[in-house]
Amino acid sequence: MELLVLIKPVPDPETRLRPNAAGTNLDTDGVKWVLTGYDESAVEQALLLKEAIPGSKVRAIAFGPAPRTEEILRSALALGCDAATWVEQPADTPTDPMRAAAALTVACQKTPFDLILVGKQALDDEAGLVGPALAERLGIADYGPVVDVRWDAAGRRFTFARAVEGGSDRVSAPTPLVVCLQQAWNDPRTAKLQNVLKARRIAIDKVTWAEVAAGIGSAAPGTHVTAFRLPPPRTGAKMIEYRTPDEAAQKLVRLLREEAKVLP
Amino acid sequence: MSSSVLVVVEIRNGAPVRASLEALGVGRRIAGPPGSGTVTAVLLGSGSESSSTTVAERGVDKVLSVADPRFDAFHAVVWAAAIAAIAREIDAGTILVAGTSNGRELVGRLAARWEAAAVNGVADLSLAADGTLMAVRPVFSGRALQEVRVDQTRAVLGLRPNAFTAPEPSGSKASVEAHPTPDLGQLPALGVVSGFEPAQTGSGPDLSEALVVVSGGRGLRGPENFRLLEDLAGALGGAIGASRAVTDSGWKPASFQVGQTGRTVSPQLYIAVGISGAIQHVVGMISSRTIVAINSDPNAPIFKVADYGVVGDLFQIVPALTAEIRRVRGS
Ligand SMILES: Cc1cc2nc3c(=O)[nH]c(=O)nc-3n(C[C@H](O)[C@H](O)[C@H](O)COP(=O)(O)OP(=O)(O)OC[C@H]3O[C@@H](n4cnc5c(N)ncnc54)[C@H](O)[C@@H]3O)c2cc1C
Ligand SMILES: Nc1ncnc2c1ncn2[C@@H]1O[C@H](COP(=O)(O)O)[C@@H](O)[C@H]1O
Repeated sequence: MELLVLIKPVPDPETRLRPNAAGTNLDTDGVKWVLTGYDESAVEQALLLKEAIPGSKVRAIAFGPAPRTEEILRSALALGCDAATWVEQPADTPTDPMRAAAALTVACQKTPFDLILVGKQALDDEAGLVGPALAERLGIADYGPVVDVRWDAAGRRFTFARAVEGGSDRVSAPTPLVVCLQQAWNDPRTAKLQNVLKARRIAIDKVTWAEVAAGIGSAAPGTHVTAFRLPPPRTGAKMIEYRTPDEAAQKLVRLLREEAKVLP
Repeated sequence: MSSSVLVVVEIRNGAPVRASLEALGVGRRIAGPPGSGTVTAVLLGSGSESSSTTVAERGVDKVLSVADPRFDAFHAVVWAAAIAAIAREIDAGTILVAGTSNGRELVGRLAARWEAAAVNGVADLSLAADGTLMAVRPVFSGRALQEVRVDQTRAVLGLRPNAFTAPEPSGSKASVEAHPTPDLGQLPALGVVSGFEPAQTGSGPDLSEALVVVSGGRGLRGPENFRLLEDLAGALGGAIGASRAVTDSGWKPASFQVGQTGRTVSPQLYIAVGISGAIQHVVGMISSRTIVAINSDPNAPIFKVADYGVVGDLFQIVPALTAEIRRVRGS
């Protein structure tokens, strides 16, 4: 089975977010870029499938600028991926999730695959667009948000649960297929030091920006981020002073109705 | 930009989902008052005819119902093919989709198919004087906000549930048209949906869509005490959530968990009971409109993110709160 897993370099979740001077985007100065969130569970899911299906290979693919993109591909290799593809994005080229999907399509078309695993949404932009848009461009089905992907060897299909409001649908689907992974239902493995060292020596395949541009055309991205700001800081709760629980309840309900206006 | 707006209405349990009704209101706003731009609602699947009436009285100009059972199970590829075809027919400029599980998956697929720009998770939307759409969306688990400008003449927008108000039914009714199934083109091999497993989330509304969420933490001391929260949630018409301490202890199934490795919720009112406010919990609820914390520890970090705090014993405060809410609601 040829498994592709798409990973995006995102700021470490511990990063203190700051807008840049122009207020147009995240200030990336000093940001540590990591493989995390749903992408990390996608890698874990890919590796579990590889272990369960003899003869499988996992290739990690990432689109983004150097050096952060290469670094997360190395983390994926250290975790046990067999190969990696870096899809080049020149540092100052504007992009958006639909553009990323187009660029990643070019990379996926260069390699055989049965299943492509992506995150339900990236931890930074939370767009949830890349997986479905990629599947449309590749002309194959996609399902998301899914958990617990397994291979049914007899039926030659993948089976999984698709989380919807109020519960989940059991789905089985033939290859080729895109699945958008939902959550860290599994505790992702961590890399052993010796594998981190080994991963440094694996050659990373490259899809150049020229190849990407030839594949997606020259039109500008359809959306631009024009402002990035922090929500007004939560200043801490207004504390209810009271003598009896009943008084606390009355004061709270009054505030919820008259001040916050969240109760009729 | 064409001022023709297409709103995709999702049906669940025989009725349009509320988030889709919210989208109808947004559609009217960006199309302009009746007579300027047009708002067309489209419903897919066998339930579409009976749900059309509800939709027709919510300020739209036209309702298209495609009553084909091929749309009953949600396959993003099938839905995208149909909606893109209809958007071309009516020369739409903008397609609005409610941000349910299905809706979120549909947006990227539909935008690729219809060759449009796409924005998901829109919490606020405005129209500049020159007709450019500007969307505001929370990113980084609600720790930051992004403003996104749409630079294409066609756009598919996914709207966050609970972020917009659904229009009330008005006296006037739009025309409802049975629309034939559009040409879906060549479809790829599809999956088969073999069954639905309801999440064990009790009888209230679904956690990710509820307007009120009452969540319990380790401070509840045991599964039996969730009864207190069920009473409170019942009085408020809300859903029950939980911290990971609770789901890890098996007091509630994992489907109740709110947070980084659970569900993200953004209700109008979130009440955290006996929850300390660890960052992994907070990222799942921080974009709630109003947050109330009830905790016996005045230094609990949850009070830093809450709007209203009550320091006290939940076993005394919660029943008093339930009684007071029942009293003011007259039940
Ligand atoms: C990788 C990772 C992912 C995680 N993901 C999640 C997640 O998705 N969701 C999540 O919730 N957690 C998550 N956690 C766990 C998180 O760090 C906390 O451990 C957890 O949220 C604590 O749950 P709690 O607040 O219920 O329990 P505690 O931290 O034990 O807090 C209990 C609170 O109850 C109060 N209390 C006790 N008795 C009373 C009383 N009688 N009346 C009122 N108050 C009382 C106490 O003062 C205390 O503040 C994650 C952790 C990790 C490492
Ligand atoms: N630049 C990228 N490189 C590789 N994969 C990506 C990239 N952007 C998004 N993805 C994948 O698509 C998923 C959804 O991303 P998004 O649509 O941006 O929320 C992510 O979880 C990744 O799996």
